[in-house]
Amino acid sequence: MSVLPFPSFLDDVKEKGLKRAALEGINEVVERATAGMNLQDIREALRGEAASRKPNPRLQPHADGFWLHMRPSYFHKSVTGVYPEFRLGWLSTYFVFFETLTGIFLMIWYTPSPDVAYANMINIMSNVPFGQFVRDLHRLGAEAMVLIVFLHMLRTFFTGSYKKPRQFTWFSGVILLICTMFLSFSGYLLPWDQLALWAVTIGASMIEAAPPEVVGTNLNLLIRGGPDIGANGLLRFYLLHVLAVPAVLFIFTGVHYYKVIVHGHSLPPGEENIGEDTAKRVPLDKRVYFIPDILTSEIMWIAVTTLVLVVLSTWFFHAPLEAHADNQVTPLGTTAPWYFLWIQGALKLGDKVLWGIIFPTIVVVFLLVMPYLDVTKSRRYAHRRFAFTVAFLMLSVMVVFSYMGLPEFGVKTSADSEILYHMLMEPAHNHMGVLRPIPYDELVPGVYTTEQLHTEDYDGDIGTALASFNTELEESGLHSRLDQFLAVTQHLELNNLTFTAVPADAPELLEGLEKLEHELELYPTELPGAWAAIIVTEPQAGLKRVDVVISWLDVQIENGRPVMDANGELLFNLDENGEIARRVTGQYMYIHEDSQYFAAPGV
Amino acid sequence: MKLNRLLIERIDHRILVGTLAFLAIMVLLGWIWINENGRMAAFDRQYLARSIERGAALYAANCSSCHGVDGLGAVGRAPALNSPYLFGHDFLAEIDTELTVLNAERPTAELNGLTERVTEIDARIAELTTERDALIAQMGPAVNIGYDPDSPSRTQRMGWTATLRSLVLTTLVAGRPTSGNYWPQPMASWSQSTGASLRTDQLEDLTNFILNWDKGSNWTLDDLNSVRQFPIYPIDPSTVTIVEGDPRIGATTEIAAVMEGLAMVTGDPQNGQTLYNSAVLGCTGCHANAAVAPLVEGTWTRVTNERLTLPEFAGYTGEQYLAESIIHPNDYTVPTYASGVMPANFGDRLSYQELADMIEYLKTQDQ
Repeated sequence: MSVLPFPSFLDDVKEKGLKRAALEGINEVVERATAGMNLQDIREALRGEAASRKPNPRLQPHADGFWLHMRPSYFHKSVTGVYPEFRLGWLSTYFVFFETLTGIFLMIWYTPSPDVAYANMINIMSNVPFGQFVRDLHRLGAEAMVLIVFLHMLRTFFTGSYKKPRQFTWFSGVILLICTMFLSFSGYLLPWDQLALWAVTIGASMIEAAPPEVVGTNLNLLIRGGPDIGANGLLRFYLLHVLAVPAVLFIFTGVHYYKVIVHGHSLPPGEENIGEDTAKRVPLDKRVYFIPDILTSEIMWIAVTTLVLVVLSTWFFHAPLEAHADNQVTPLGTTAPWYFLWIQGALKLGDKVLWGIIFPTIVVVFLLVMPYLDVTKSRRYAHRRFAFTVAFLMLSVMVVFSYMGLPEFGVKTSADSEILYHMLMEPAHNHMGVLRPIPYDELVPGVYTTEQLHTEDYDGDIGTALASFNTELEESGLHSRLDQFLAVTQHLELNNLTFTAVPADAPELLEGLEKLEHELELYPTELPGAWAAIIVTEPQAGLKRVDVVISWLDVQIENGRPVMDANGELLFNLDENGEIARRVTGQYMYIHEDSQYFAAPGV
Repeated sequence: MKLNRLLIERIDHRILVGTLAFLAIMVLLGWIWINENGRMAAFDRQYLARSIERGAALYAANCSSCHGVDGLGAVGRAPALNSPYLFGHDFLAEIDTELTVLNAERPTAELNGLTERVTEIDARIAELTTERDALIAQMGPAVNIGYDPDSPSRTQRMGWTATLRSLVLTTLVAGRPTSGNYWPQPMASWSQSTGASLRTDQLEDLTNFILNWDKGSNWTLDDLNSVRQFPIYPIDPSTVTIVEGDPRIGATTEIAAVMEGLAMVTGDPQNGQTLYNSAVLGCTGCHANAAVAPLVEGTWTRVTNERLTLPEFAGYTGEQYLAESIIHPNDYTVPTYASGVMPANFGDRLSYQELADMIEYLKTQDQ
């Protein structure tokens, strides 16, 4: 007999036998854990059968359990389909938890200091099992979360769900959208690579434009922690990322969902009028119970979403990590994250204060107060043509501005810099230099030129064409100038600067040369009479150096454009002998045989 | 519309899809787990490779002007890094090991009266010694410029007991402040922690690049003999014997006085060439690399055709221009070159005869 005031498990075993006692014990534990549903209840629910006992045990977890007390016990049948909600709200919530969990994993391996942050990233990728995988998931999840929260907002707009009585729900949702964007943005800086530093530098420099000057300067100092982003700035962004913004996000997630429940999920526009509150007025025949229908649906949605993320992270997506952050080196083509591209595009229209501060502020304030301004009487699509027109116009402007935010738009770099960048750039923004993925074995040491592609005057004979080109260079003195340029400026000592044909067993190198020629042809006025060279050397075993040199007639350039005379002829700079001068420029990269550059997806 | 009901109408289908998705996630996690060690190793290899690439670019921009584009050093300026000596490759190791074993065995064999074995050992020792001498003879070019075959390891010679990596890295971080005593310029410190320009990761990139010159056991005598400059070591001042010679010109002597002194002697271009190429003066350390200083070839042509046409050298002779360039190098620096690089102490190191020899040699450079 037990000394306890109730029968012990041992007493049960003696009385009922081991099997039955164990089953009853498990049953009891399950019922306690689910706050009301035993194994039989769960079995019935999952089979889609009606509950066999009363009161309905499926309502019990909503009444007694912590997790389900915040969920309604039944939904209106009209909101349980894909339309009108597309499960975007649920997925947004899921991403909050997903990002938190993956973020905690990464926090274990990360120290927010410029001295070690980048090394931490390398460690996560090279020495922490599942490190790269979780980092990919975290990054992919962040991008997906911004997208899903934005789509959730669009859906709410188009179904008119923000209208009375749900104005504040919308308001809190916009706060969540802003939090999501800033969470993603503040996470950008943490790897402390070039992408991080310069994307955030662009963002922070907009803050500097805030008027009046004293405010902008101090806000900028406050967020960067100094004139440049350094140790202080990184720590601040880290704290914003892991503490401040998540705190606001969690609070507003609670507020937002509370308001959703208080007013009930909004029904499709045709079924619910403005001012109606369906939370507690769902007819019996329209009820779909949370257990089991909504619950199984929600779990299925997150399982499938997680699977998609896992598949993408396993094979198709890797979070970028560029070269170590360097305040001294501004990479070409620096962009803000895609969801802030619209601001970067707007900035190209002119005034930094107007387009960088006032315009985004107006957009955000407009979004926040929009439900209070739009007091039209109907939620039906047909009655909201004006609102839809305004929305589509705004969306179009966003798309156009985002396009304008791309580095391809309106950023004038000299033609030679553009070409060298396209040919040699380090992997960044999902792109890399054209010559980088050439197989190591095909980088045959030698001196090659695009002139080998111009054999029209030599009956297609490359050898003769190159011999003629070599002689021409020698006679014009350009040969020794090139030699000097390589030695003095490029630190390259060559024994023999005689151009030869690309070997037949290096087709990809030849293709690279052809692409280089194609790039030259894109700039007939900026680079008249241009030719280029690819020089491959092998400074160490297993390491090759690839130089790209461009030479062109020195056309006069003003405001980034070639100058022409009244007849439309190009004007050139002349050398001391009164001849048209020739410019020579170049850049180089090193390729190690184990570097494994390969074409980025989509390139 | 079927889709309008929880995406999938039937609960058992939803459970099936969710379960399959979960199982697929587990399978993928297992797949990642299986491949994870290989992936991490591949990442390490790739990261090291890219680090070497970055190091190569840093080397070309910052180090090549002193240590040579090919890392073989610059005479009188900086030692080779692409050198079997830095990596401690001992070309005599195999022979020396066998000699040590034989020399250890010989007394015992002699004591035990194994005369046949002793003869055998002696023969082998003689053979090995001949081989050794032949090998050292093949190292002639390296030995002539300071390589000691019996002390083939840089780290051992300087008593460095840690790794070569740490030697390279700490040298980059802190430089060699006192090396200015025996090189024209000291090895600078490069680390941001010492107020210089490179970050720790960049110094590691540079170290990875330099260590990538290691050929392990594949170093050849050609590699050794192609080294242009080996490290030099400070000399104990007490061992230096002062030899009385011609008086020095003096680094602060006015150019007019220098020209008067030069008028008293006749230059010998042959001796001038020897001096010019000597490691003591180290001229070729810089003037063999157009990136650092004007090349010796064509010096006289440039002086007469270009420099003397400049207004600031009105009234100068070519000899005067050269004398001033050597004794007071900072009075004028050829455009595109950095000023203050050439040591201004040649006046204290050269006699009038030696300066005249050098000028005569440079006058032969009229290509």
